[in-house]
Amino acid sequence: MTTVMSKPVSAPGKSIVEKLNFFTALALGAISAIVVWRLALQILPEDTEVRLFTREDKITLLSMTAWFIGFMTGIGALVGPFRWLMGKDLTHEENMFLAGKDMGVKRYFRYTTDHKVVGIQYLVITMVIFGIGGILAMLIRTNLGTPEGGWIHPQAYNSIVGTHGIIMIVGTIIMVTGPFGNFIMPIMIGARDMAFPRLNALSFWLIVAAAVPLIWAQFIGGISTGWSAYNPLAGQGPLGMDGYIMFICIFAISTMVAGANITTTVVKMRAKGMTWNRTPIFIYGVVASVALALPAFPVFFLSQILSAFDRALDTSFYNTAGGGSGWLYENLFWIMGHPEVYVILIPAVAALMEMAPVFTRRPLFSFNVAVMGIAGISGLSVLVWAHHMYISGWAPLLNTPFMLTTELISIPTGMIFLVLIGTLWRGRLWMTMPLMSIFALLWNFMIGGVTGIYLSDVPADAFLHGSMYVTAHFHYTLMGAGLTGALAALVYWFPAMTGRMFDKKLSWIAFWMVQIGFNIAFVGMFAVGLAGQPRRVEAYAPTFNTGNMITTGGAYLIMAGMLVLLYGVITSWTSGVKAPKNPWQAKTLEWTVGYPVPLENFDVLPVVTSDPYGYGKAKS
Amino acid sequence: MSEQMTPQTPQWWKKPDVKKTAILWVICTAVIGYVGVEFHVRNMVRPASETMSGVISLMRIFTWAAAPVAGLVAAMCLTVLTSKRHYGDNPPAEADHQISNSPRATSLWIVVSAFLCLFALITGFIVIQKDAVALLDKNAIQINVTGQQWLWSIDYPNGARSEDLYLPVNKPVVFHVTSVDVKHSFWIVQMGVKIDANPGYVTETAVTPDKIGVFDLRCAELCGLLHAYMQTKVHIVSQADYDAWLSVHATMEKGA
Amino acid sequence: MSVETHAHHEHPDVVGSRNRLGVILILVADIAFALSMVFVYFYLRGQNVNDMWLPAATSDHPAILPLSATAGWTVTAIAAFGLLAHFYGLKGVRSGNQTQLKLGSLVALVASVVAIVYQFNTIATAPFTFSDGAYVSCFYMFAILNFVHIMLTIFISLGNWNRARLGIYNSDHWHVDIVNVWWVWMTVSSLLGAFALTYP
Ligand SMILES: [Cu+2]
Ligand SMILES: [Cu+2]
Repeated sequence: MTTVMSKPVSAPGKSIVEKLNFFTALALGAISAIVVWRLALQILPEDTEVRLFTREDKITLLSMTAWFIGFMTGIGALVGPFRWLMGKDLTHEENMFLAGKDMGVKRYFRYTTDHKVVGIQYLVITMVIFGIGGILAMLIRTNLGTPEGGWIHPQAYNSIVGTHGIIMIVGTIIMVTGPFGNFIMPIMIGARDMAFPRLNALSFWLIVAAAVPLIWAQFIGGISTGWSAYNPLAGQGPLGMDGYIMFICIFAISTMVAGANITTTVVKMRAKGMTWNRTPIFIYGVVASVALALPAFPVFFLSQILSAFDRALDTSFYNTAGGGSGWLYENLFWIMGHPEVYVILIPAVAALMEMAPVFTRRPLFSFNVAVMGIAGISGLSVLVWAHHMYISGWAPLLNTPFMLTTELISIPTGMIFLVLIGTLWRGRLWMTMPLMSIFALLWNFMIGGVTGIYLSDVPADAFLHGSMYVTAHFHYTLMGAGLTGALAALVYWFPAMTGRMFDKKLSWIAFWMVQIGFNIAFVGMFAVGLAGQPRRVEAYAPTFNTGNMITTGGAYLIMAGMLVLLYGVITSWTSGVKAPKNPWQAKTLEWTVGYPVPLENFDVLPVVTSDPYGYGKAKS
Repeated sequence: MSEQMTPQTPQWWKKPDVKKTAILWVICTAVIGYVGVEFHVRNMVRPASETMSGVISLMRIFTWAAAPVAGLVAAMCLTVLTSKRHYGDNPPAEADHQISNSPRATSLWIVVSAFLCLFALITGFIVIQKDAVALLDKNAIQINVTGQQWLWSIDYPNGARSEDLYLPVNKPVVFHVTSVDVKHSFWIVQMGVKIDANPGYVTETAVTPDKIGVFDLRCAELCGLLHAYMQTKVHIVSQADYDAWLSVHATMEKGA
Repeated sequence: MSVETHAHHEHPDVVGSRNRLGVILILVADIAFALSMVFVYFYLRGQNVNDMWLPAATSDHPAILPLSATAGWTVTAIAAFGLLAHFYGLKGVRSGNQTQLKLGSLVALVASVVAIVYQFNTIATAPFTFSDGAYVSCFYMFAILNFVHIMLTIFISLGNWNRARLGIYNSDHWHVDIVNVWWVWMTVSSLLGAFALTYP
């Protein structure tokens, strides 16, 4: 607390800041939820209107809100704001305590502000999310192994599909900007921490708080609508939809907070001499991603608030009988939903662009085109949302302009391909899993991109929309491109984050199993989509059986590969080979601080004099 | 970051890796184009309308247009992967004279991608126009379709009503689609037409079936518990059979 | 609205400009939120699905109710008054007059309390129920947005006044500048709602 350091402060020692942790948060959250639930049961009047169940929705939403407020209070999120209110800002000692000074493992269970702790927390929660989402995916694929479906009840099946969808979306949104954007990015730009360390802790713990309503939802009817939660279907859905609504609202706040924080950090805190054309391309990717989320997620937030109003208060935003419109929901949802695709993709691709020079020992090919590509994709991505609504009939005349903007995105996307392939060209390939991931990305993203062009074409979409072809397409982009980049980033930055090398052999085995399994699974899914199998079905016509069996087989291979990867993470983290200071001999700043990284990263702030891609001393 | 470009050697195309890439490019383009087209066409349903035939030829055209780009990327990847690989825990030595930019290559790349984009747009636009005109056809049979959880009801101009769809061959049809509960999507698979059934709204789509036979009508939008089972048959019959069926069903409706 | 940086003393101007950018970015999110509400309003108004945009006449209220945006404009006026008061305080602290700051921030605090009472009253005494059609839904949407914004404003104004009272702003006053940014947006957002409701 720089500016008011001289003010009187509370006696050091047992300040409230030191008493709060994850367990007090759990306790306070649970107690608040139960108390409010009992009170609401007592106080709220019975339903008298024609529309039933609004009382239950009110009770559920109020209890979940109480959980949220209780949890955030218990973790200590409100201490800072209230100390500001009282005029007693946190002292230097308290801030050091919050940063987790000398606290060991306990740091990870507190409202810790050190960006490195937050990065590790994000890494772990991302793995947990992928674990759960992966298990749900296996349930889906197992059920689809036979045409009749059958062994999972349709209600449960729909909920599994919805939950898999939404948590994988959340997992992929945070998979790069969470762990690496928090741990690596501040060191990479030569900063001592994020611009707002407490907001950093806030963005992480909000995700933990959001998880509970989603789990809760599974026990009160589930999420029966797919991840998109279209209204009026969602309005008609079970109480579980209230869990979805709370989950999205809390997650959206987390995203906005993280977006403001990361953007400010990069704009205001880069090391001396790190001009925009000396800033690593990964930083551009991270900022583009979180900055894109800033205007996009509030719209999603609003769409769910209105959904909650419709359910609990019987308003008519989406309910057509009262003058609402399902098309309104679709617009709000996709105004967020398309930028979100690039929120996921851009940082993963940028991470690979960061690694490409390191593993080919050449400068990044055409840095300016890389920046233009990222900027072009981000800019266009807010203008394309209605390509998800070509066949909804909401505005047939607008299909042509939206087709135009959508297909224009192929130009900046092509620039990204050019940068990657240009960097590889004539490079000396250092054969590692991150390097091969670049090739895997080019392959998968090419398939995802070209199928995206078919889908962007209105007449072709009239056949393909709502079929398994679409599902395969976006798995190729989000998983084949996005997740591939994130896994490469994990192996690449593992030494910086854990001080140990990722087991080389395991990284290779996992890589090939996941990539081969992935291509088997989703080529099979393209095939059944072309043959006419709709999405999100729990049973299908027998003619689609072969393709589905291939997909299910591929999915099992992916799962086996991911288990190998998980085993690799655990063994390498606990007993892997100790990493040298700069194992990849890269030129970015995160490799200059060693391991363990000191609490404030740099004793003396670095001064940057060139871009980090000076391999082979480019001759002029 | 160096903004200057290394002077190109005058005969860059004679370098061995360029030649290798050029040969691979031709091969990769052919393979990708052929496999891509065959994969799509073989897996897609047999068309039962001109609209669907149009979709299939569109996929053909787009795949062949994309093949050279994908082929070039694949060829460059293969060339790189088969030349200077380095294994080990330490990085390979860095070569001197590394270029970090090539304005000629980048501008060519951008111009070509812009042209491909324009091509895709024009192709799509032509078909959209055709579909839009079909909706205005005054001679078309007007069919009302209503979705509800989880079945379709079809209303014919003479008051007949059915759950299966019956239509005469080679006659234009306009569908007026709506829903009474949640959103569904009306999809006649083999005819390549799809339009959402929205509660509170009526949406339209048009098609001319051109084959006699039995086809599939499926719901393509998740609509709750039994969405997977919300499907029925489309019977395309001769005009005479259609008229006969229609008169029988109209009287049945009235009798009921 | 808090300073967040530890150790390594940085100049207040550096911290201040960083905080200002952070707050502006969060406001970008809130602006997107409010603008999408305006979109919701005009979209539903344009669609008028089932002719249910305006409340239908029922046996309870046989004629369509007189719809008025007066409440929205009144809240905007109170917010604008609060903004002016805060700005008056800010001008004071800029020229080193702490008394003027204390007065301005206190008046701003009072304005926000008046606004919340008025806004609550508007919601409680609205002449229709939640299920009276899309216009009414939107009316509540804007009213609740204002309500939440004013609650935040009360918190911020209370802290700002309290800190002014304690003399924390003697050395530097960038907090007060940022609070002013918030007041501006608060006023504009209530104006957006009032503007929309003027066209039923
Ligand atoms: Cu999209
Ligand atoms: Cu359906």
